Amino acid sequence: MGETKTNCSYYRETALDHLDALYGFAMVLTADQTEAQDLMQETYLRAFGACELLMPDSNLKAWLFVIMRNVWLNQMRHRRSGPEFVEIEEQEGPGTPWLDGGSEDPLKLLLKKVERERVRDAIAQLPQPYREVVVLRDLEGFSYQQIAGIIGCPAGTVMSRLARGREKLRLTLARWRLEVMSKATANNEL
Amino acid sequence: MNECDYIESRTSFYLDDELRADERRAFEEHLGRCQRCRDAVTAEHRFLEGVRNAGPLYEAPVDLRRRIEEIASRGGLRDVVRAGMTPPPQALPPASLFARLSRGERVASVSAVGILIALLGICYLRGTDTRLGRVPSEFARLAVNIHQQHLGGGLDLEISSTSPQDVSDWFSGQVNFSVKLPNYQEASGQDQLYQIEGGRVVTFKNDRAAYVSYQMDKQPISLLVTSDSVAAPSGGEEVVSKGITFHYDAIDGLKVITWSDRGLTYALVSNLKERGQQSCLVCHQGTRDKDFLEGFNVGSSGPRQSYKIQASRTALRLNPDRRLPTRSSD
Repeated sequence: MGETKTNCSYYRETALDHLDALYGFAMVLTADQTEAQDLMQETYLRAFGACELLMPDSNLKAWLFVIMRNVWLNQMRHRRSGPEFVEIEEQEGPGTPWLDGGSEDPLKLLLKKVERERVRDAIAQLPQPYREVVVLRDLEGFSYQQIAGIIGCPAGTVMSRLARGREKLRLTLARWRLEVMSKATANNEL
Repeated sequence: MNECDYIESRTSFYLDDELRADERRAFEEHLGRCQRCRDAVTAEHRFLEGVRNAGPLYEAPVDLRRRIEEIASRGGLRDVVRAGMTPPPQALPPASLFARLSRGERVASVSAVGILIALLGICYLRGTDTRLGRVPSEFARLAVNIHQQHLGGGLDLEISSTSPQDVSDWFSGQVNFSVKLPNYQEASGQDQLYQIEGGRVVTFKNDRAAYVSYQMDKQPISLLVTSDSVAAPSGGEEVVSKGITFHYDAIDGLKVITWSDRGLTYALVSNLKERGQQSCLVCHQGTRDKDFLEGFNVGSSGPRQSYKIQASRTALRLNPDRRLPTRSSD
């Protein structure tokens, strides 16, 4: 029993390390800041309530993601309607990652920022099943097997969704670059 | 498919570090001698780096971080969550609406919520027959949680064996009841449709429950067993058979069947496509039970619907007759 308490105490502390990652996933699922915050609270409540079930060598991060997705699925089932993607407000400030560039060339920083925003927009435009696996793999670094466990489907489905999601991303970004080049060409001609 | 096409089809797996060591070696050997594939892999790598550098997509707001830290520091909430999975409003204000109200509005809303809860309580008690059946039991939710943990690689088995006897023997002394997993297929001359994988002990309400894992067509099936003094089945679609009430539920897209028999409570979780009772036929086809089980005539699902069926009581049965005294809960 004492060991369980120690484990739970350790898990509670370690679980906080994944706060940003989970919030990102909550936003991917809900596309709404308020709902994402509610989902976060419910996820952590459930995780802390069940932490004694976790074995010492368990993947805590993957487990938290599984819980979050289950909570969200339950909420969706109760509402009986799927989420619609909405525009997400930018939260720029001193802590914004892309401004932490130190002595880098401001122009390069600006270009990087624009590029990142484009990628983020492209990810946001992906249909939910693709967006989910792209975020879990490319932003959170989960393996195919771990993602299969999180979203509750075979690894083969994860692979096909990931391939399609990335293909859609590639097309969206290519279209954007083409538009930028067309505009630049038009400006030069004027 | 020539070698370059094959390499192209494996590029994502290579960059995702999902190739086996020998595949990876062969992949890199090919890249060493093929400029075209090397360029293609470099381009794909650059694209993926662009996507990966877009993160983190969001940062958790400061006040949310503070609230979560508060939750982490409150050990008492754990019991609240375990009991009902949702904390009372006074224990934790929701991030939405409530937090935005002024103090006066909060007092008013708490009163309104109190009245609403009281009204709902009355309606709930009056309408027990139609409402109780909708909410899955905590035990069913735990079974699903454990099933998913095991599926996600987050919950290892403490005994791995394809022998029901070995797994049964292992549970001896681990839990407060006797576990005797039948070799049902062998006994009935049935083809090997499913196979036991192993088991482990899990904790539920300060007591020990037995978790048994099965595989069927590479799909996992989980069985969770505990004393009926610790968990009682409830919720979902009910089917009464020879005095046993089976509760068929769907949680997170998984099928859960819970029931109690002779002092023990069981939860069976699977992702079989067959709905409700029909999923029983998957394991029991070709057995003596099949004739009984095919007698299921399931109508539309709904709470508290009862169907008289004749199912055998011999399947997946632990041995309740040899049940040991239950440890008093903490």
